[in-house]
Amino acid sequence: MRAKKPALVITFSTAAEAMKMEKFCLARSLPGRLIPTPQEITAGCGLAWKAPEDALALLTQAMADGEIHWEDARVLSI
Amino acid sequence: MIHVNAMGDTCPIPVVKTMNAIRELNGSGMVQTLVDNEIAVQNLTKMANQKGYGVTSEKLEPGKFRVVMTIGEGSEPDSTPPEEETCLVTPAAGQKKAVVVISSAQMGSGSEELGRALMKGFLYALCQQDSLPSTILFYNGGAALTCEGSASLEDIRSLQAQGVEILTCGTCLNYYGLTEKLRVGEVTNMYVICEKMTQADLIVKP
Repeated sequence: MRAKKPALVITFSTAAEAMKMEKFCLARSLPGRLIPTPQEITAGCGLAWKAPEDALALLTQAMADGEIHWEDARVLSI
Repeated sequence: MIHVNAMGDTCPIPVVKTMNAIRELNGSGMVQTLVDNEIAVQNLTKMANQKGYGVTSEKLEPGKFRVVMTIGEGSEPDSTPPEEETCLVTPAAGQKKAVVVISSAQMGSGSEELGRALMKGFLYALCQQDSLPSTILFYNGGAALTCEGSASLEDIRSLQAQGVEILTCGTCLNYYGLTEKLRVGEVTNMYVICEKMTQADLIVKP
């Protein structure tokens, strides 16, 4: 079994919003990457943003600045 | 103690080298193996537990792990041929040989943007599977995924590190001007692609 590590997972209600997050973060060199939403989470969209677990404050501020609407943010071992 | 250096070795080489060292002991003793990934640690630990050896492991630094096995008095020499050693996450003898075929940089048809995101997600999810394919074939538009600039290089390299064979069509690399930009795996040709696909027990085409 592959070893799991804690990570911040941000979910969105639409794929469009998830892909907007990816473009936004890449343009600003913000940490993280797009992944399929982990099966432990119920979310509106099947794409989620995975980032280091200590990036919550940085990313929530960035998403507010970028008017990116997110659904939930939590730390999961994935 | 016998010291085994398996740094940089792909599965099942760390297990094979360790088993060979245990045979050299010809009885009780200790074998220390250095590996560079957690999967190898898990494979070695599993092997030790199966054979009743004592085993400890520790991370020495990022990308370097030490596994120490203690073979006790009365342990019978292992007669399993080295080539039959199997791994936790690669197909064992008797299991289906799966080949993944990537013919495009996008998954599905419709929106190109969505298709690219889906393909990245597929390769990420593939890395998370407990049972991995034996080979991944990349051709036509899929050839770009193993080349410089691909957003999936890290995931494909991770698959390669776990023993998955990564092959990209040479004709396709040439057509798209990517021959010098291949960054993971090897160049292959249509004969090998054909052979891999016809001899596979299972073909997965996202």
